Amino acid sequence: MVEETPWQQALRYANRANPYPFYEELRKTPVARQPDGTYVVSTYREIVALLHDPRVSSDPKKCPAPGAARTQGSGEPAAEPIRQVLTEPNIIISDPPEHDRDRRAMMPHFVGPPPAPRWISDLEPEIRRIVGGLLDAMQGKSRIDAVDAFAYPLPVTVICKVLGVPLEDEPRFHRWIETALDALDFGPEAASEEIQSRQAEGRQAVQEFGRFAAELLDGYARQPGPGMLSALMNADGQDARMSKGVLASNALLLIFAGHETTVNLIAHSVLTLLRHPDALEQLRRRPELIVPGVEELLRFESSVQFWHTRSALEDIDIAGTTIPKGAPIFLVYGSANRDPERFTHPDTLDLERRDNQHLGFSQGIHFCFGAPLARLEVQVAVGEFVRRVRGPRLVEDPPPYRHNQIFRGPRHVLVDIDGISA
Amino acid sequence: MRIVVDLNRCQGYGQCVYLAHEVFRLSGQEALTYEPNPDEEQRLHVERAAAACPVQAIVLDRLDGTEGSTTP
Repeated sequence: MVEETPWQQALRYANRANPYPFYEELRKTPVARQPDGTYVVSTYREIVALLHDPRVSSDPKKCPAPGAARTQGSGEPAAEPIRQVLTEPNIIISDPPEHDRDRRAMMPHFVGPPPAPRWISDLEPEIRRIVGGLLDAMQGKSRIDAVDAFAYPLPVTVICKVLGVPLEDEPRFHRWIETALDALDFGPEAASEEIQSRQAEGRQAVQEFGRFAAELLDGYARQPGPGMLSALMNADGQDARMSKGVLASNALLLIFAGHETTVNLIAHSVLTLLRHPDALEQLRRRPELIVPGVEELLRFESSVQFWHTRSALEDIDIAGTTIPKGAPIFLVYGSANRDPERFTHPDTLDLERRDNQHLGFSQGIHFCFGAPLARLEVQVAVGEFVRRVRGPRLVEDPPPYRHNQIFRGPRHVLVDIDGISA
Repeated sequence: MRIVVDLNRCQGYGQCVYLAHEVFRLSGQEALTYEPNPDEEQRLHVERAAAACPVQAIVLDRLDGTEGSTTP
């Protein structure tokens, strides 16, 4: 058996809780060709350069699927039901000019009509109410799961409200998302019987999720309702209306990305602060540090570890390597955010870190659409957790992780507590 | 309080506009305009905006007279 590359090792489930030593190894070759023909970029400078390079496409249709590259080498097939099933583009997998047109059409419905984009900040009281309720519900308990009882319910409730997705449908789309995420694998375990056996279910889950989004939009076409999806479905005027298929694909993206990443960020924030008692104490004394603190948490444990749909439209010379036209490119944000060439003592948590230009939300034209909402949710949630939860202690370290490599996060974070303050 | 935005760094991500809409505005697709001397009551919003800037282009004055882009 050939020795595995640092990237392949980083992707192994056993290393999910701590991929960082493998990223460190990976950064010794900033642009590293993998056996399956994928070019993995792990250093901050090179990733930022490629994020702003028009020769890099995000559209998977312009790139041979990793499966095609597989035939050239000894790499294992990536298991990727989403790429196989999602036939219509959305903004995260499209290029200009379609990307720009669709993102521009969506933006006003997310942040409110210009020139007063106050939609997000007006959500703060509601977010505080939800967070308060979740913490109140922990009264009288000595052990809580910071994922199920805290990190998950807030973002899912908020995104349903923002988009106009009935909260009672949550168990259905939660199951579809879990099923699809568990079937997605880019590492050496993709070929395993276990992962391969999840492929059919994963594809079916994405299909059902897509139908759900389309039906929701149909409903809003007949009868407009609250939230962004209805507004998009019924938009007219100068915003070019998206085709229904594209809109459904974007709806699926917004429902999924609108909470999944925030769940992982809140869970990782709690976990990270409990691992760093000094930082926790610092935040207790100086609550205002939650603002730069969340930026540091975004850097320290990025919710999107890498992105997998990019490819080279032309030969690209970078860091002494030529990425050939058509080659898949993975940009590893999680590694860039720990790059010592960019961040002093990158493995140290510093809530007051200066010049923290992290890639937790990426950069360039695909910069996270929901970043303002995510920041607000996490600042309120983590700030209130720190303020109100007395004597929190990790029960298990590392905690069990979810399978997915891109959307990396703990499945549970069990915490023993002494009580909940008012 | 006093703020300065390095408009050479600004790339029009608009994050500041969502977080401190009384202070920052996008005119057209990407040109940023802002109030250089906002009221003190805007401080939390401005600090959030400065921390959120993807290219760290917002500099605000600090109570102790030094300058910093992300911390109060």
